[in-house]
Amino acid sequence: MKVVTGVVGNDIHVVANRLIDLSLQARGFEVFNLGVNTYLEEFFDAAVETGAEVLLISSLNGEAEGWGREVKLLKARYKNLDELIMMIGGNLTVGSGNAEDIVPKYKGYGFDLVCHQVDLNTGLDQLEEFIAQRKTQ
Amino acid sequence: MSLLQEEREIILSNEYVDTFDFAEVEEFVKNASKDLFISHHFKNANKMLVQPRGGFPTYEKQFALYEFFEKANVDVLPLTIDSNTRLNDYATSEKMLRLSEENDVDMLNGYPLVNHGYRTTRKMITHFNKPVSLRHGTPDARLLIEQAIASGIFEIEGGPITYLLPYSKNFPLDKAFLYWKYVERVCANYSELNEPINRESFGPLTATLVPPSITIVIQLLEMLLSLQEGVKSFSVSFSQQGSMVQDIVTGAVIKKLAKHYAQEIGCGDAAIHLVYHQWMGAFPTNREYADQLINMSTVIASMVGADKIITKTCEEAIGIPTKEANAKTVANTQYTLRILNGLPSVVDEEEEEILTLEVKAIMEAVFNDSADTLWRKVFNSIKNGIIDVPFSPHIINHNEMITIRDAGKNIRIINRGNVPIPERCYDFEKSKCDLSKDTTSIVNDIVHDIGIMQ
Repeated sequence: MKVVTGVVGNDIHVVANRLIDLSLQARGFEVFNLGVNTYLEEFFDAAVETGAEVLLISSLNGEAEGWGREVKLLKARYKNLDELIMMIGGNLTVGSGNAEDIVPKYKGYGFDLVCHQVDLNTGLDQLEEFIAQRKTQ
Repeated sequence: MSLLQEEREIILSNEYVDTFDFAEVEEFVKNASKDLFISHHFKNANKMLVQPRGGFPTYEKQFALYEFFEKANVDVLPLTIDSNTRLNDYATSEKMLRLSEENDVDMLNGYPLVNHGYRTTRKMITHFNKPVSLRHGTPDARLLIEQAIASGIFEIEGGPITYLLPYSKNFPLDKAFLYWKYVERVCANYSELNEPINRESFGPLTATLVPPSITIVIQLLEMLLSLQEGVKSFSVSFSQQGSMVQDIVTGAVIKKLAKHYAQEIGCGDAAIHLVYHQWMGAFPTNREYADQLINMSTVIASMVGADKIITKTCEEAIGIPTKEANAKTVANTQYTLRILNGLPSVVDEEEEEILTLEVKAIMEAVFNDSADTLWRKVFNSIKNGIIDVPFSPHIINHNEMITIRDAGKNIRIINRGNVPIPERCYDFEKSKCDLSKDTTSIVNDIVHDIGIMQ
C-alpha cells in the first residue's frame, strides 16, 4: 500500500520523519517521503501522482495548527482524493495543549486519524487498524 | 581586472553595503595586529584554545558579551550570524535589527554583520584585539565573508557540504560549491598580506548518529577544496560522538589522514589544526547535568589532542544562552584544562585500522568519479550516495545509511546504503551490534541512541 509522508510547513525537524519512513517500510508500506519543509499542495500533488491511499502528515513545531485549517478547502480542488486516508501526527499545537481539545479540532479539519504526542508505533498500529476496518466495510 | 575581482565588485555593490573600499581594506589587513589572527595563535600557543558560541543583534549587546568573555579569559571570540543573513535576506535582518535597537528585545538569533557593516564592526573587533571566528551556516557567504575579513575577523567557518546538508532542503549543492570557491579564493588572497586567514570546516554535520567515517571524509574533502584554492591554514573538526574511545580513534585518524591527503595534492606546507566541539546533540534540561556533560567533553578534547575546543552552555536545552551562562562555561573549561595533567595516551589499533580503511575506500571512490574537477567529483558522490549523511534534510542526500550505537555507545553502520564501506569493515561494524532485532525495535533503539545524554 502506498503512503505519502512529510513534515508540513517551514518545519525542518528531520529525525522523526526518517523514523516514520523506516517504520512504515518495516510494516510493508511503499513510502513516498517528501521530507521536511513541505507545503500542503505538494502533499496533495504527490498523492495524485503516486496514487497513494494514505497521506501521513507530521509536525513537530506545531505549525500544523495553521496549515490544518486549509486542508478541506485545498483538497476539494483535487479530483479523486475522496478515498484518501488522512492522518496527522506529532506535536500538533504551538506551546501546550491536551489531546481532548486537539483531536476533535483536527478531525474537523478533515483528518481521519489524529495522533497528538502519541508514540510512533502506537500511531502506526492505529493506522493499520483503520485500514483493516475500512476494507471490511 | 581578474574574473574574481569583477565578481567581488558585483557582490559588494549591494544596496546594503555602504561603499566597500578595496584598497583601504587591503591596507587594514596588511597592518592588522597579529593577535587578531587565530593562525598566529595556533602557531604560538601551547594550550588548547577555548572558544564559546554567541551572537546578539545589537552592537551594544555583542560588545557586552565580549566583555564577559574577556573576563572569563577567553582565547577566541565567536561572532554568530543571524538566520536571515544566512539566507541572504538582508532586508529582514535590517528591519529586525532596528526593532531590536528601538525596543531592547532581541529580534534576531545572531549579529547581522552585513547590516552593521565593516566600518562599525571593525571598531569592536580591534578594541578587544582577540581572534574572532565567524560562525554562520550560509550557503552563499560571499558578501558576508568580505565584510567579516574587512572587520578584522580572520577565521571563517563553514563549507559547501557542511553548511548545506545539515541545514537546507532545497538549496542547490552545485551552487554552494561555486560560492564557497569564491570564499576560499578571497581568503587565500588576503592570506598573502599578513598571517594566513584560517578556514574551519563544520564537522558536527547533523550531530545525529553520523559515523566517524562520513565525518572524516567530508572534513578531508572540504580541506582539499580549500587548500586547492590557496588557503594556507585550515581546521578540520568533529563533535563529541558519545564514546570516548571512538572520539580518540577519530582524532588520531583525522590528523593522520589530513596530513596525508594535503601532501598528496602538493599542499603539505599548509598548517592543519584539529577542532573539537563539545556535545552537539540533545542536551539535558537539568543545568547541573549539562555542566557535567560539558566538563566531560573538555576531558575528551584533551585526550583527543585538539588545538581548539568550542563550548556549550548549561542553558543549551532551553534556548539562546545568556552572556553570564556563556562566560561561565569559558571559565570552567579553562579551569578544567589547567588541572588536567598527565593524561594517559590511549590507542586502539584495531579500531584505527578499520576506520582508516573505511575513509580511504570512500575517498578513493570519490577520486575515481569521472568528473574533471574535485568539486564535481564530490557533488556526484553525494548525489549517487557514495557519501551519505544520516538525518540530513537535503533532497540530494541518499538517506539509505542506517547507524545505531553498540554496547560501548560507539556509532556503528548497520546499513551502508551506497557508501563503499569495505566488506571486512562492514562485517566488523555489524559484529558489534545485535542484528537479530526487527526494524521496530531498531527504530526504538535509534530514538534512545539520539537521546543518550538527556
